[in-house]
Amino acid sequence: MIDSLCDRAREKDIAVIGFYCDFLAQQEQSTINILGAILKQLICRGGIPEHIREAFRKAKKEFGGRGLRLPDLVEITKKAIVSLPRVFFCIDALDESTPQHRRDLLESLREIVLVSANTRIFLTGRPHIEDEIMKHFGEVVRIPLSPTQDDIKGYLEMRLNRDTDPSAMDDKLRPDIMRIIPEKISEV
Amino acid sequence: MSSGHQEVTGNVNSFNSFNVLTHNNIVNFVTETDAEGRQILQWLSPLEPQQRHQGVRTGRLDGVGHWVLETNEFRKWSDTEDGCNEPVLFGHGNPGVGKNASQVARLFV
Repeated sequence: MIDSLCDRAREKDIAVIGFYCDFLAQQEQSTINILGAILKQLICRGGIPEHIREAFRKAKKEFGGRGLRLPDLVEITKKAIVSLPRVFFCIDALDESTPQHRRDLLESLREIVLVSANTRIFLTGRPHIEDEIMKHFGEVVRIPLSPTQDDIKGYLEMRLNRDTDPSAMDDKLRPDIMRIIPEKISEV
Repeated sequence: MSSGHQEVTGNVNSFNSFNVLTHNNIVNFVTETDAEGRQILQWLSPLEPQQRHQGVRTGRLDGVGHWVLETNEFRKWSDTEDGCNEPVLFGHGNPGVGKNASQVARLFV
């Protein structure tokens, strides 16, 4: 979806920002690191704005280089985003972040969209985090994500064609895989 | 700061150059940025989500999940000019799929 949005972004002045949450990277994917990574992508478009350089120089002077704090980062991001006509944030697998990081991230995003009505946020995750999202944003547009049979078959074809050990495949196994796996997934 | 840069290089969040889309061209970000700029980017976050996106892209099939883009929900949400008041689109995976829900969802992003 990021690519599709990027395709559209080429035609119009739209920024598409992506982030993938990963259960295995929970510690390093803190709220501040995620939001910082989002901001980095935002400012890539037109060079680093002067207000960010100033904030960095100021932080560098204090205690020989202070790390960023979340409220400061939110303010910097707000400043960076107001001048952009349209921004899409895509944050995937939000349920894989810790509840605390998630809460702080959602709150920060809410503050950011308040100053930029043209910013859109696409979140994916398991359904149980919907309540948390609603708590911060009130209403959300929901869309169930489950692969279609064609999606699954196309993906299986690709993986089988890339198999590094094709000798393990025979004329019976392949059709079995193509039949049974999409059936089983649809039953889940 | 430059030594910090060295340390980070090599771990998961290594600071490599990456290409960024602008509205009409692709720029290589790092080479266009001065020394202070590189420090600032590192200061903002050691994470490098672009790398991950490239990784997901190579394991993905073109066309998979494109139906999402055709749904009314997606269109309504993405078209700000049409006056959608909800800034958030939540794509939720089937609970029965368990951990794979997010992996399934990754096909779409």
